[in-house]
Amino acid sequence: MNNFGIIFGAICLLAAITLVLHSHKKTKKIMDTLDNMLTSAMNGNFHESTFDESRLSALETKFSHYFSSSALSTQNIAAEKDRIKALVGDIAHQTKTPLANLLLYAELLQEEPLSPEAAAYADTLHLQAEKLHFLIDTLLKMSRLENGMITLSPKKSPLSPMLEQVRQQFASKAAEKGLSLSLEQTSVSACFDAKWTSEALCNVVDNAIKYTEKGSITLSVVPYEMFIRIDVADTGTGIMEEEQAKIFSRFYRSEKNAKQDGVGIGLYLAREILKKEGGYIKITSEVGKGSVFSLFLPS
Amino acid sequence: MRILEAKDLKKVYGTGEYAVHALDGVDLSIEKGEFVAIVGTSGSGKSTLLHMLGGLDLPTKGTVIVDGQELSKLKKEELTIFRRRKIGFVFQNYNLVPVLTVMENITLPIRLDGKQIDETYLQEIICTLGLEKKLNSLPNQLSGGQQQRVAIARALAAKPAIILADEPTGNLDSKTSQDVLSLMKVTSERFSQTIVMITHNEEIAQMADRIIRIEDGKIAIRG
Repeated sequence: MNNFGIIFGAICLLAAITLVLHSHKKTKKIMDTLDNMLTSAMNGNFHESTFDESRLSALETKFSHYFSSSALSTQNIAAEKDRIKALVGDIAHQTKTPLANLLLYAELLQEEPLSPEAAAYADTLHLQAEKLHFLIDTLLKMSRLENGMITLSPKKSPLSPMLEQVRQQFASKAAEKGLSLSLEQTSVSACFDAKWTSEALCNVVDNAIKYTEKGSITLSVVPYEMFIRIDVADTGTGIMEEEQAKIFSRFYRSEKNAKQDGVGIGLYLAREILKKEGGYIKITSEVGKGSVFSLFLPS
Repeated sequence: MRILEAKDLKKVYGTGEYAVHALDGVDLSIEKGEFVAIVGTSGSGKSTLLHMLGGLDLPTKGTVIVDGQELSKLKKEELTIFRRRKIGFVFQNYNLVPVLTVMENITLPIRLDGKQIDETYLQEIICTLGLEKKLNSLPNQLSGGQQQRVAIARALAAKPAIILADEPTGNLDSKTSQDVLSLMKVTSERFSQTIVMITHNEEIAQMADRIIRIEDGKIAIRG
């Protein structure tokens, strides 16, 4: 009787241990299978391997459906992007000729002997055509940049030639307003795409001239270990703190500057360009004292 | 997408007439990818706030929600794991492990979690932070700025929902500070990484997309 009890107990214990081990093994197998499924899905080579009435097989089918639908949506995004590219191309190509004609005929009209009233209309016409030209040009650049149609190729080179070129480009515009535009000499090099960085810098300098009534605009460079900083300092109206973050957004125009011509896209484009180069742009400003726009580029 | 939210956060140290209200009802909400600075003088409650947001300390009242999870609902062990996976920290004094190399320090949180290391991502971080040549050095062989760059890399490597930086340039000279801040700015944009930085320095705060000012345990101005 006693012996029987012991044997029975031992059998029960053995059975329990076997059961626990078995379920442990089973759980491990399920987890391993799931892990493998996810890993292969992440590597993009998931396919169903069992076809039976088990839950695992059903799960595999569910997985497979999910992945094919997400692959489809990726494909749709790519197709969407292609359509945008085509549209941008069309706009760029098709507006070129009419716009050039618009500018040309407006200029011809200005040369004609006109009544003072008509001359004023012709001037406005020309100005608006120029504005449209600039707007389409900038929007296209922006769209190409955002959609990856243009890739920037930053190279390590000295900053001085680019800065000097920008200074020369704006010297007359600054002189017209009676502002001094100066450049502090520098021998610093940075890693940048000359064409696009120059575009960004031109937008910043153009703004500085636009919003400065008297005084000066100074370009200078400060090197750090990993970055270099190009400062564009003006003695203009300055920008309130609440407005400082907004000026880099698309089509933002400050209310007090509504009368100035411009479309509110230059700083946004500048920011996007700097971002693409692994840098950024920031502003320090005090109302009434002027602003400093700092362009940071990797050194 | 909202990644961090604090509702009516209060922290009281001591009781009765000795009670100090370090935080007195703070509400804030931060979107994914934002680089936010919390500015305040010493004693304003900004460090207390950061500790609450990171689950390093529990609030007396109110809730903190990180990536959809209410922190107070987690058990102690769960909170530890949650922090490791979801929150990256960058401290003033770097807090690197002195006996581990730069590479080992960067990958420590991932290895603690038993996760596979995403090599491409890791290389990109290392490159962005300019640490390629320092990977086998020990922390004490590096300058302060370099050590802080390692700390930023470590915080980024685990792909956390949010990085909390407590006076990240507090121990650095102004020139090195600018580099570290630039890197935080650039990484925040490149990896869409949400960063919340606290500082007492106005100029440093200007680097952020948004500034939140805190005075006497309350939010004074929102940028």
